[in-house]
Amino acid sequence: MELATLLPLLLLLAWLLPLASFTLIVFAGPRLGRAGHKAGYVATGAIGISLFLSLLALACWLWHHPLTPSHHAETHAAASDDPADPTHERSEHEQSAPHTGSTASPLTGDWYTLAEFGSLRLTIGYYIDALTLGMFVMVSLIATCIHVYSFGYMHEELEDVTDPLASPSSGKPLVRAGRFHRFFQYMSLFCFSMLGLVVAGNVAMVFVFWELVGICSYLLIGFYIERKSASTAANKAFIVNRVGDFGMIVGLMILFGALGTFSFGDVAQSDGTVRKGIFSQVRPAENEHQLIVPDGLIRMAAASQMNSIYASVPSNEEAEELIGRRVAELRKVGTGYWLLVLAGLGIFCGCVGKSAQFPLHVWLPDAMEGPTPVSALIHAATMVAAGVYLVGRFYPVFAPEVLLTIACVGCITLFVAATIAITATDIKRVLAYSTVSQLGYMMFSLGLGGWAAGLFHLFTHAFFKALLFLCSGSVIHACHTNEMPEMGGLRKKMPWTAWTMLVGCLAISGAGIPAMLGMKGFGLSGYYSKDSILAQAFSVASQSQTYGWLFYVAAGGAAITAFYMFRLWFMTFAGSPRNQHVYDHAHESPASMYVPLVILAFFAVVAGWKLPSLNLPDLLEQARPLGTAEGISFAGEIAHPELPAEHRSHEETLHRTVSWIAFGTALTGFAIAVLFYLLRIFNPETVRKWLAPLHAFLIHKWFFDELYEYAFVKPTLLLSQVAAAFDRLVIDRLADGSARFCVTVARLDDVIDRYVVDWAANGIGRLTYRIGLWLRQVQTGQLRQYVVMIAVSTVALFLLIVVCRNLMLFQ
Amino acid sequence: MTLTSPPILLSLIVFLPAVGALVIGLLPKGRDELFKQVALAFTLVVAALTLYLALPGQPGAGADSARFLLGTAQMQHAFSIPWIESFNIYYALGIDGISLPLILLTSFLSVLAMGASWTIDKHVKAYCILFLLLETGMLGVFMALDFFLFYVFWEVMLLPMYFLIGVWGGPRREYAAIKFFLFTMAGSVLMLVALLALYFNSDLNQLGPAQLAASHLHETVVERYDPSGTAEPQHTFNLLALAHQGQSENSPFSQLLVGGKSIQWWAFLLLLIGFLVKVPAVPVHTWLPDAHVEAPTPISMILAGVLLKMGGYGIIRICYPVCPDAAYELAWLVCTLGVISMVYGAFAAMAQTDFKRLVAYSSVSHMGYVVLGLGVWSISGSTGMTGDYWKMGMNGAMFQMIAHGISSAGMFFLVGVIYERVHHRNLDDFGGLFGRMPVYTGVSMGIFFAALGLPGLCGFIGEILVVLSVWNYSQVLAVISASVMILTAGYILWTLQRVYLGPEYKGPHGDEIRPITQRELAIAAPLLAFAIILGVYPKAVFNYMAPSVNKLVDDLGQARYGNDYSGGIEKQTGSVERIEPAENELALREISPHREEAGQP
Repeated sequence: MELATLLPLLLLLAWLLPLASFTLIVFAGPRLGRAGHKAGYVATGAIGISLFLSLLALACWLWHHPLTPSHHAETHAAASDDPADPTHERSEHEQSAPHTGSTASPLTGDWYTLAEFGSLRLTIGYYIDALTLGMFVMVSLIATCIHVYSFGYMHEELEDVTDPLASPSSGKPLVRAGRFHRFFQYMSLFCFSMLGLVVAGNVAMVFVFWELVGICSYLLIGFYIERKSASTAANKAFIVNRVGDFGMIVGLMILFGALGTFSFGDVAQSDGTVRKGIFSQVRPAENEHQLIVPDGLIRMAAASQMNSIYASVPSNEEAEELIGRRVAELRKVGTGYWLLVLAGLGIFCGCVGKSAQFPLHVWLPDAMEGPTPVSALIHAATMVAAGVYLVGRFYPVFAPEVLLTIACVGCITLFVAATIAITATDIKRVLAYSTVSQLGYMMFSLGLGGWAAGLFHLFTHAFFKALLFLCSGSVIHACHTNEMPEMGGLRKKMPWTAWTMLVGCLAISGAGIPAMLGMKGFGLSGYYSKDSILAQAFSVASQSQTYGWLFYVAAGGAAITAFYMFRLWFMTFAGSPRNQHVYDHAHESPASMYVPLVILAFFAVVAGWKLPSLNLPDLLEQARPLGTAEGISFAGEIAHPELPAEHRSHEETLHRTVSWIAFGTALTGFAIAVLFYLLRIFNPETVRKWLAPLHAFLIHKWFFDELYEYAFVKPTLLLSQVAAAFDRLVIDRLADGSARFCVTVARLDDVIDRYVVDWAANGIGRLTYRIGLWLRQVQTGQLRQYVVMIAVSTVALFLLIVVCRNLMLFQ
Repeated sequence: MTLTSPPILLSLIVFLPAVGALVIGLLPKGRDELFKQVALAFTLVVAALTLYLALPGQPGAGADSARFLLGTAQMQHAFSIPWIESFNIYYALGIDGISLPLILLTSFLSVLAMGASWTIDKHVKAYCILFLLLETGMLGVFMALDFFLFYVFWEVMLLPMYFLIGVWGGPRREYAAIKFFLFTMAGSVLMLVALLALYFNSDLNQLGPAQLAASHLHETVVERYDPSGTAEPQHTFNLLALAHQGQSENSPFSQLLVGGKSIQWWAFLLLLIGFLVKVPAVPVHTWLPDAHVEAPTPISMILAGVLLKMGGYGIIRICYPVCPDAAYELAWLVCTLGVISMVYGAFAAMAQTDFKRLVAYSSVSHMGYVVLGLGVWSISGSTGMTGDYWKMGMNGAMFQMIAHGISSAGMFFLVGVIYERVHHRNLDDFGGLFGRMPVYTGVSMGIFFAALGLPGLCGFIGEILVVLSVWNYSQVLAVISASVMILTAGYILWTLQRVYLGPEYKGPHGDEIRPITQRELAIAAPLLAFAIILGVYPKAVFNYMAPSVNKLVDDLGQARYGNDYSGGIEKQTGSVERIEPAENELALREISPHREEAGQP
């Protein structure tokens, strides 16, 4: 079968299987064995098959597009010796283009059309390249491990559960039925949504699954629905994410309004035509895949001019011709560029929310209310990395200004989160802040032009952070507490957990031996990925002093990372037990829990290794967006910041320097942790007292929650009260008032009727009656009197006629 | 003529509920169960008939087939029968892609609402009669092609509603019923003024032959047609003919009236206000929360599910086609009111402590999307004079009407389910229902997520299409409208937390809480099922709706810009809508010489 038909089919199956599992568990969940424990097998089976299918797909892809070793330092060292000769580099890339660009071009297509209006279409489609496949395999692999792990971790949900953290008013702990199947039901829905996000062929589909992973995250954070803290955290997560999504929608509006498409790549239609995607509109092949402002955005930015052109000429063809010329002129003066920047920032806003970047990072630590496997899968390895993934995917569209914003946001995030992690005592919260910080590293790297480095870190981080979370889950499972001050010395009780977690700590700190004495550097996965990030930052710093501070913050962050990770490990596993009761009850977790730990530990070690035919850096290099290999610049005629090409950071001298700096900082952090928490030479208490204000500042997480409470939540609630009061007090009063006015008028009417009109009518009646009464006296029945009356009347009548006639004659 | 011939079938659908009301009226007193069963049977038959109407038919199946022709934009099965001929009032019905989905929604929700009426035990006979009369009124509004007939149905529907709220409602039912009646009545009066203004300025003789034929007029009217320009003007209430007049060059409605504005400007404004009362849009919305809070559950379902849709339907069926120039001038007003409703409704919803009031305000917010989507006149040079974005907005708005009909009816029903058990609606006194009523909670979550606009459920499609279409009309409104999704998430999730989550139920009558019954599930489950189906396969609606809506946008574009309007960037080939503009042009060309002559003196 053709690769172009086989791969989408495999991934489609792998994607829909978890949905089938979800549907099955929804309808049959409680009937699947005791407390629905077979639901676990259904869900695990589904994601297991997904893993198999995605591995198959990756194998097919690599069979057709074998990895070519990326450019090694030597060639580039030679190239950069002669920076004045740009043609040299250009020609080299043109040579390499057949290897990376054309043969491994992504597979794009649409599976399903949701709605279409004229030329506008909302579709469900796919965009498959090496990055998609890598992510797909990573997600399904980690998800499978975590499903297996959950059998052990969630086993208490098979019985009735006593929840000590739910607080009913009676004061007694709450006993409820177990919800084993519900957990796996949500997990299946999450896997479906996440895989959909990965395979998505257009940014609207990304948004659809973006929201769906959000709702899964909401359901799983709030899994312990009886706990107020859990449901509040779930609400916070969803609402904060929606703040980011608001920005994303604005970005989508701009892009769709201007370009009329959501597709990443060009999509062949059933009638044989090809619809241009966003990428080829923003980076057209005619422009050597360099960034330009597409026509649509220029037309949008200059809408009034376009209207006047249409008004000035008789036919549409002429108008379009004129517009074509005008657009070319406008492009030179940079019209519409701000819209491109705005669209990029909007999309990035969504990523800020989802990947918990400053200033929307506040939801992720609270999200630790969910069960630990959830934290590992959703809030460490996959969903929160989706923001980084989207930045990587949407990379060709980002203008240099947007990228620098991304870098700055990443840099602030990695520092802020790392400092908070120093003082946290909840084992999961330390890891949560560490996740935020590491996601900051990825954003930072992408923003500085280190596309492959940032995504590389995404992969390695997924493995070691999932590992770390699962280990912490194992500890919590054993100790029934999250607080590290209650732990200590646990390595003897739970060796598997302790040593696999140490691997995780080493990996995240970037442990390794830098290149020296002619030997190549060697280390755990984090060593490679973090080094390449720092190398890119260093490369940027060495090109432009303006951005030099970014490198120092990132390097400092690396020291803090090593410190808080080893602080965590020492406090938990080393030394003597701090709480004997907890220690006595602690035990190693069952095999279903530590086997996944071992598998993940294995990947945490090797994920960064450069095997010749299968390694992450080369896989990512193959997926690099067209036109970004030579650094980021803008093809307009106005000055814009430029970012150096990523391969420059592989240069031998530069890389070696950075390796040693990274090694030094990590070692510093490690050493401080050893002094404080292993050898206990210094007492953390003393330092805490010295730096009391700083400690308070950090323990309150830089007061972000308080700030947002007063800056956003309270005003919103106030506004809502104002709106409701306006209805009651103004609009309703107006309506009721006008009704009352009508009633008053009616009453008045009534009064007039009664006292004026009726009075008059009655008066006339009464008068007539009186006259009648009076006249009755005339009727005496005496004939003589009548005759006199007739005579008098006749005379009077004649007189009257004569008078009248005379009067008329006078006229 | 057979049963399936259009005049018979359409009339049957409209009047069968009224016949049902008559039948119940003739039944002996005191047999409450029977009344409900008969009423339900009638709603079921009507639903079956509308379903038959919606079956895709074959082109050329003859006049006896009343099945819907998919892909046809024009009015189908239209007929006209003299009613009050001296005033040119005809009994004219017809359906197209805009009305059919709403007819289906009406008949479907009527069945469910009747099913939800089993808990009514006061004056059951009168209740069933009024309920069925209400259904006749609603169906009539959606099918009427004669403006006067439309108006009559509109008013017919008002009275049963008044009594259903005023007699079977809650403690403040009389206030709520009168408020509902007066607000709607005020709107109706404005509509009546506009109706007369349009009628007395219309003249069938100015239409071209093709337009005349497309208006589905009665044959005696066609015989009187005299395009010579010397004949007496022939007034009409026919909505299609009025639309053709409004859209033609030198439309008689473009004459100046008062204040430097044309007849159509004033007509549009009056009609718009009249319909916005019904939608309801801020600031004429305050009758809605009161009416909902006091109305019994099934009536709330009908009110939110169908009655509000009449406002939107009126705007798209009458305001826009008949007054295109005014619609262009006043697009800012329509869109601004839509956005204000969205924001204001969401804020007000957040502040509510009464569960039903919260849902009512969420309706205000969600119907704001409808108003906004209808109004985004985004044909401009920057998009190559295409109506595509507006088509998306208008289709989204119409879809939102259907989606909201499903989700809001569902929400009101679910509120009713818990109200029947614990007899209060105070949001702060719930909690912990997840443990006590798991199935109920599951269904509720689904319906509320649909209202939240979660992808995969019906609310998302309407909202996203509307919001995406706004940028090309106004960037400020676009940004504000996009921000509403944050507020929506806020009040819905907060509600879910307060009602369903938490360790225990906090309010009174806790021991009365029992799991959802079969009957209740039979009403809630179809709503959830439709919420999912429409969310995943929105084409189920768009296949019917889009051709008609697209044609309307194309007509409006043609009317405003003439040849400058380019329709879509890529016209789909082979569909009927493609032929339409050409026909129009032909008709215009035929009519123009005569018009010039008429203009000379």
